[in-house]
Order: sequence, then structure tokens, then C-alpha cells
Amino acid sequence: MKPRILKGRVWMVTDGNGNRIDNIDTDMIFHNKYLYITDIKEMGKYAFSNLEGWEDFPQKAKPGDILVVGRNFGAGSSRQQAVDCFIALGISLIIGESFGAIYKRNVINSGLPLIEAPGIFESGLKTGDVIEVNLETGEIFRNGKLIFRGKPMSSVALDIYDAGGIFEYGKRLENA
Amino acid sequence: MGMTLTEKILAQAAGKKEVSPGEIVTVEPTWVMSHDNSAYILKEFKKTGVEKVWNPEKIVIILDHVVPAASRDYANNHLSIRQFVNEQKIMNFWDINTGICHQVMAEKGYDVPGAVIVGADSHTTTPGAFGAFAAGIGRSEVAAIWATGKIWLRVPESYEILVNGEFPKGVFAKDLALHIVGDITASGAVYKAVEFKGETIKNMGIASRMVLTNLSAEMGAKNGIIEADEKTLKYLEGKARAEIKVMHPDEDAEYEKHFEYDASDLVPKVAFPHTVDNVYDIDKALEIPVNQIFLGTCTNGRVEDLEIAAKILKGKKVKDGVRMLVFPASWKVWREANKRGILNILAEAGAVIMNPGCGPCLGAHAGVLGDGEVCLSTANRNFKGRMGNPNAEIYLASPATAAASALKGYISDPREVL
Repeated sequence: MKPRILKGRVWMVTDGNGNRIDNIDTDMIFHNKYLYITDIKEMGKYAFSNLEGWEDFPQKAKPGDILVVGRNFGAGSSRQQAVDCFIALGISLIIGESFGAIYKRNVINSGLPLIEAPGIFESGLKTGDVIEVNLETGEIFRNGKLIFRGKPMSSVALDIYDAGGIFEYGKRLENA
Repeated sequence: MGMTLTEKILAQAAGKKEVSPGEIVTVEPTWVMSHDNSAYILKEFKKTGVEKVWNPEKIVIILDHVVPAASRDYANNHLSIRQFVNEQKIMNFWDINTGICHQVMAEKGYDVPGAVIVGADSHTTTPGAFGAFAAGIGRSEVAAIWATGKIWLRVPESYEILVNGEFPKGVFAKDLALHIVGDITASGAVYKAVEFKGETIKNMGIASRMVLTNLSAEMGAKNGIIEADEKTLKYLEGKARAEIKVMHPDEDAEYEKHFEYDASDLVPKVAFPHTVDNVYDIDKALEIPVNQIFLGTCTNGRVEDLEIAAKILKGKKVKDGVRMLVFPASWKVWREANKRGILNILAEAGAVIMNPGCGPCLGAHAGVLGDGEVCLSTANRNFKGRMGNPNAEIYLASPATAAASALKGYISDPREVL
């Protein structure tokens, strides 16, 4: 079983005025001009390269960081590179107000944990804060204090996370 | 408790009497579809170590995104797909001479009532127009289905969208769809099933219904769906490739939200850059100059769409300096439009008739925009950079608005030329 509590530094995905950005689509996360790239390791440097003000995110992000995003994050195309680019950067968890339906599945199926937390942008959480997140309960702690309750991950999502992605999960099912 | 149409289909697929929203079911899809991205999917499939796909009769692969191949990389991708199709004896392979996947799925009879269809393309909501459950998924999931034949699905909550009234002149399904997306917003139906009902939907032809389910993806919906009726069955006569299971929502089905629209109140609509829900009445868009008109795509590249454009452009000329590109949604559409003289009318007017496929919709080739250029498109997405250049602007509208604007060189009201 993989860790149920993750600790990391937060990136609040906001615009120049500090407001949350909703409906960030997969072209903003990973632009179509890079779709020819098939090596996941190469994808990190293009994460958010078409999102105004976030072009330098790949240089600033560190492995273990946690992304906090607005409503309908990952709207648009089904392209998985928009998830893979964050995995390449070592992002450990994505917390969001809500996600595009296909994007959410792609995150879960890739084995990257995801917490839905409607209202998280009103919790006082700031970029640079270090938080601990309990995946089973959805609870988010800062300095040991509970600051927000997101939705717990579903059991199927936790199983896929434990297995390390949809393929390993499928193999476990076959052998069960 | 009664079930919605989506719940009924998923319950049957899961072999259950009843399912309710939030429940996770595991089902074997009727069809799993993919397109040029099959090149990546087959690489992932090979990594699983499984030698044979679960069922070569249920895998549908349609090349449409960059056809014919625009570069060596694309050509090699297509090549690897053709080799894989031969090795695995995949029955339902459609090469570059067929059309856009969502159109081909309908024309070839894959989209049938009661089916569960998943595809590695976000507009796989389209087959819902036939009373099927249909949703987009990611490429790893397609590879997993190729290996195991199974997919987990969370039963979505359903929204009911009721539309009554007759369309006024110059107003079409695209205008209604844009109006609804503008109202519900791009995130308003995230993870939800949207079920379209009412007289307006009943009176629509299949092509128009497909516009609604296609654009359901743009409100974040998991799937869009319309109950099958006699029109659906007539369309499928002699071509259905799977068992037709007509289902109906229960009278007491529970919908999380209800929306009601009167089609007779509508005017032509335009989605402004850079989101599909940035929708206004045509008044606000009038006289915005355009460099390119893009008529086609899985949203609006059918015979009906080309026909209305030809009606407006017949005997007239596309404004000097404007490029009008026409991409029929499939070769079947191309042949029908050709036989009826529609393509000739458009070509005489100065439009460039291209080969069926996705064309420049996703910015890979065949009509990418230059810096500062404006395109009026009949597609379903206007995201920044969607047509290959983040320094260009895309407006979305109906084929009639596209044709009227082609005549004038700026965004124009189709009611004035119809």
C-alpha cells in the first residue's frame, strides 16, 4: 500500500491578480504543437507553456509539489500528455475545485492521486504553504491544523494509485 | 426509483437491475474507438505484455486527425497502426479514405441505441444522438480495454434539458447548442449525463441531434444522450453493426437539474475567443473581420451543413482576401454533396474543397492560422492556440453564419442572406 498522507509545497494556480483560473484546458496545459513527443520525461518542460503567467512553472516546480487548481481543470481534449507532463515534473498530488471528466479519469488511471475540493480557494491556502493531505479522508492540514475537508478518494481510485496505474491495477484484477 | 436513460443503459451493460448515480460499475463496452492516437495506444498495449487483444471485432480504429500524413512522424504513426491492425486482425479499421471518426461511427452503423461506446477522443459524446451511452476516455484506458475488455465507469448524475418550439429562420441546432453551453457554462455539467428531450429534439434530424451530443463535451458532460425513435431506427436500417436495444427513461426518473429552452426565442449565436461558453447573440459579433472560414468537423461537416452553406453562396463569391476551407465530415458526405452539386457550388464561389478529416480543427495541418488572424469556424472548440497558433482568434458559429460571413468578409447575420 502506498502512503495515505502526502506532504508537499503548494502551487495555487491563479492569474496575475491572485484569482483562481477556471476552465484551464488541455491546450493551455500541454499545447498541441508538442503532441509529437512520446517520451514522458520530455513532457515536463512544456507543462503550462500555453498558460499566461505560468510559462516558467517547469523551472520552478520541484518533485513532491502539490498543484491546487480551479474549476473544470483539464477541460477539452482527451490528451494524456496534459497529465504526463506533471508526472514528469514529480508533482505528487493535484487538488482541484473540479476537473474535466476525462482529465479526472486520466489522472486517476495514471496512478497520480487527486482530491476534489470544491471551495479550496476560499480556505486561505497560499502558494508556498506546506500541507499534509489525507487521501482516504480528503482532509488537508497546515502546520498540523485541519484547514479544509476535500472529498475522499474513491476506493477504485485508491486501488489504482496503490497498483501504480491502470495497467498494474488490471493485472492485479486478472490474478485475483 | 425510476432510472434515467443513461442509468438504464449502464445497468443493462453491468448486468444489474438497477444502478444509481455515484455507483462504480465495470462493463464490457460494445465498441472501443480510437483514431491516429492508436499509434500511442498500441505502444502502451505492447507494454502490458498481453499478446492478443481481447476481441478484435470490438475495436474500431479510424484514421482522421492528420490525413493524409503531414510529416514523416505522422506517416510512421499511421504505418505502425496499419501493421498492428494486420497483426491483431482488427476487423473495424477505416483508413484515411473514410472520414472523421464520430461521423464514420454513425454512418457505418456502430452507433446503435443501448450500446456502450468509449473512445480516445473527447467528442465521443457524439453517438449519444442514437440513444447510446458514449463517453471519451484517455489513451491508457483504451490500451487497458484492448487488453482486458473491461472498463470501470462511475454512473453519472443526469441533467434534463428540455427544448420546445420551432427554430426561427436562420437558427439551427448549432445555435441552440452554443446557447446551452453559454448558459450552463464550460464547467456546468462536469461528470454529468445530459439528456436532451422535447419537441424540438423530436423534430430534429439525426445530423442536428449529433450537433447537440457532440457539443455536450463542451459543458464538461460525461455523456450527452437522446432517446432513440423512428428516425434513429430508419437511419440504422440495414447498417446496424450491434444489437439495437431501444430504452426509455422512466417517468419517475430522477434528474439532478432541469433546464428548459424555447427554440423559437433563439437568434444566431457566436462563441467568442477563447472559450466555447463565451457565447453572444450575433449582434455583438457583426462586422468582426475574418481571414479564414472553416466549414466542417465532427460538429458541422455533414451534408445538411454543406447544403445550407451552398444555398447562401450559390452564384456568389467568397469575399476577396478571405480563405474559405470546406472539409466534408466523411467521404460518404463528400460523395453525396458532390452528387447533389453542393461541392461544385461552393468551389465556384471560391471555397477550397479539402479532403474529409479533422483538418485544421486541432491545429496540426491544412489551414493553421497566422499571427493575429481571425477564423470563423463551425467546429466545437475555440481554445487559445487550438488551430495551431496561440496568437490567432477563433469564433464559433453555425454553417449558415459561416457562409454569410464568407460573403461579406466579416461576421454576418445569416438571416439577411437566407
